Amino acid sequence: MAAGFKTVEPLEYYRRFLKENCRPDGRELGEFRTTTVNIGSISTADGSALVKLGNTTVICGVKAEFAAPPTDAPDKGYVVPNVDLPPLCSSRFRSGPPGEEAQVASQFIADVIENSQIIQKEDLCISPGKLAWVLYCDLICLDYDGNILDACTFALLAALKNVQLPEVTINEETALAEVNLKKKSYLNIRTHPVATSFAVFDDTLLIVDPTGEEEHLATGTLTIVMDEEGKLCCLHKPGGSGLTGAKLQDCMSRAVTTVYFKIHCILEKCMLMCHQHFMKNFKSMA
Amino acid sequence: APPGGGEERELALALQEALEPAVRLGRYPRAQLEVSALLLEDGGSALAAALTAAALALADAGVEMYDLVVGCGLSLAPGPAPTWLLDPTRLEEERAAAGLTVALMPVLNQVAGLLGSGEGGLIESWAEAVRLGLEGCQRLYPVLQQSLVRAARRRGAAAQP
Repeated sequence: MAAGFKTVEPLEYYRRFLKENCRPDGRELGEFRTTTVNIGSISTADGSALVKLGNTTVICGVKAEFAAPPTDAPDKGYVVPNVDLPPLCSSRFRSGPPGEEAQVASQFIADVIENSQIIQKEDLCISPGKLAWVLYCDLICLDYDGNILDACTFALLAALKNVQLPEVTINEETALAEVNLKKKSYLNIRTHPVATSFAVFDDTLLIVDPTGEEEHLATGTLTIVMDEEGKLCCLHKPGGSGLTGAKLQDCMSRAVTTVYFKIHCILEKCMLMCHQHFMKNFKSMA
Repeated sequence: APPGGGEERELALALQEALEPAVRLGRYPRAQLEVSALLLEDGGSALAAALTAAALALADAGVEMYDLVVGCGLSLAPGPAPTWLLDPTRLEEERAAAGLTVALMPVLNQVAGLLGSGEGGLIESWAEAVRLGLEGCQRLYPVLQQSLVRAARRRGAAAQP
C-alpha cells in the first residue's frame, strides 16, 4: 500500500515523513548516513581510498608522475583531479565522454584543491623550472545514491593522506633524475577540507546528506566545504531555490561539526590502523 | 581517462563474444543488456576476471542464461624450457612471451571465448595451454556456484518480511 503511494505521489509520500521530522530511511533531518573508509586498498596506485556514505561508493586513486613545471610557475607541481561517473554506478549515465554532472564534480574538486591549499604546490617541485611531480587523482563512483560531492572530497582527502612519494635527486653530471624507491615519504597535507551537502525542500526545509531519491525530489542543493580551522574553502550552490542569509549561516555551523566528526573520528582512526598494518608488514619483511 | 582506447575496445569485443552464447537473448527481444566492467587494479589475468565477474553479475541480476562463463588466464614464461603458467600475476604477464585467455561454459563444456597473442612456438604448445586453461575454469566453477547460491539465499532471507 505504502509502496504504491510512493510510486504515484513520491513528493507527498516524502512530505509525510518530513512533517514528523524524519526521513524514510529512519534518519533525522540533520543526520549523516554511516560512513566507511578503506585506505590503501589499491597497491598499483601511489595512494588510494574507498569511501562509502550509506550506499554511495567512491574510490580515489592517486598516481604520481614526472612533468615539467608550468612556465608561469616554475617552482610548482600539478594536482589533476578527474571525477568519473560510469554507467555501472547508475542507470542515468551513458557510456562515452564525461557528462555534465561528472564535469561539474571534476571542476568542484579542482576548486576545493585550489581554494583549501590542501597541498602546497611548491612541495611538489623537485627541480625549479625542470622537474616537478604531477598527481593524477582519479575519482570513480561505483554506486550512486546521492551526495557524490561529499564522498568525492572525503575520498580525495583520504587518498592524498595515503600517498607516499619516493625521494628524487637530480644527478649533477648527467642532469637525470634518480628515484630512490626505498626512501618514501608522505605528502604534507596542510588542511583537511570536508564537504557537507544539503538538499532544499519546498524552498524552506534543509536536510543533510541527501540520498539519490531525495536529491531527485529536492528543489535545490547546497554544498559547503570547510577545513578543520573553520575556514570556508568552497560554497557550491547550483541554482535551485533561494536561501536566506540566516539559513546559510546555520548550514555553515552544521558543516563545522561534520568536519570534526569526519576528520577526527573516522580519518585519524583509519590512518592509524593503516599505518600499524604497514609497520607490521614492514617489520615482518625486514 | 577517455573511454574507447584501442585495448579497451578489443577487450570489450572479447567480453561480448564470450558472454553472448551463454545468455538466452531470445527471451529479451527488444531489450539491450549493457555490461560494464571496471578494472580497479590489474594484478594479472584481468580479462579472465572481467569475464567471470560479468557472467556472475548477469546471473545475479536474474538474466536467463544457459550456463555461466568462467574465464582463465595463462602466460608463457620465456626461457630455455618455455612453460605455460596458469593465472599469472602482472609481473609474470609483463615478462611473458605469449598470453592466452580462455572462457568456458562449465556445465555445457563448451568454449565460449578464446583470445591469445605472442610467440608461442609449436601448435602443440598452444593446444596444451588451452587444455590447461579449461581445466582451470572447471576448478573455479564450484566456487562461483556456491557464491551465487549464498547470494540468492541472502536475498531470499531479506525479502521475507
